[in-house]
Amino acid sequence: MWILWWGEDMGKTKRLALCAVLISLALALSYMERFLPLQLLVPLPGVKLGLANIVTLIALYLLGSGSAFAILVPRCIMGAIFGGGITGLCFSLTGGLLAMSVMVLCRRIPCFSIYGTSVLGAAAHSVGQILAAMVLMNSVYVGAYLSYLLCVSIFTGLATGTAGAGVLKVLRKTDMWKP
Amino acid sequence: MRLQFQKGDYAAIGLVVLLAIAVALAFLPGRMKDAAGVEIYHDGVLVKTMPLSSDGSYTVVGDYTNVITVSGGSVSITHSDCPGMDCVHSGSISAVGRSLVCLPNGLEVRVIGQSDDVDFVVG
Repeated sequence: MWILWWGEDMGKTKRLALCAVLISLALALSYMERFLPLQLLVPLPGVKLGLANIVTLIALYLLGSGSAFAILVPRCIMGAIFGGGITGLCFSLTGGLLAMSVMVLCRRIPCFSIYGTSVLGAAAHSVGQILAAMVLMNSVYVGAYLSYLLCVSIFTGLATGTAGAGVLKVLRKTDMWKP
Repeated sequence: MRLQFQKGDYAAIGLVVLLAIAVALAFLPGRMKDAAGVEIYHDGVLVKTMPLSSDGSYTVVGDYTNVITVSGGSVSITHSDCPGMDCVHSGSISAVGRSLVCLPNGLEVRVIGQSDDVDFVVG
């Protein structure tokens, strides 16, 4: 409840500044991620840790779904400009928007904590990417990859959930989010 | 804000596992046929069919260049100049229904069975 109250009470300028900081943080994380050779561990296309999802989680839990969307979409577009290309944009937007929609719902379901929300978000991201791949490749056979990606997303979702929970535990004690 | 791991989170993990199993069953590779050859698709169009029984290689030039090599009854993408190189890291495959994919180049290499009768039609 306190977060809703702060959210409404927080000045527009402060909210804008926080969103801008979180967008750049998400961009930096998703760029950094390319240098982590996770592909050598799990040799499948599209496997990544989803570090930028930590930022999405933090934004969703601290600032609400509106701001979280306002961070996600510019992050995907700028990510495409900085090196993903149009194909990359299709994948990150379908994956990202589907994951965000699922996480917005999960946050409201009382039996899920941030861990469950993160795992289901990561799974939804995989589903979105495979759907985009099916359309782009014009082939349903790409769907065979989905079961591998879903298994991986349990672990990456738990990892980003752990990181998000750690950051949020510290941040909610500070007055950074107060007006 | 629920930051502690809860019992419901196991349900979330279980849900993803179930979904993974369901998808795996739907795409179960090599159910009935022996692998006979490979089909190479570029941007969704069949460009080349190769038998798995004889070794050989084929080069697809699009936005990027992929070299597909058949050797010892299995197929792999042995060279690619795409940035991710996921297709090369995917290794070699030989089971019917499995496929190798290079997304940046729009390439798919699919292992097919002996008789090419239709298993199922989607959409």
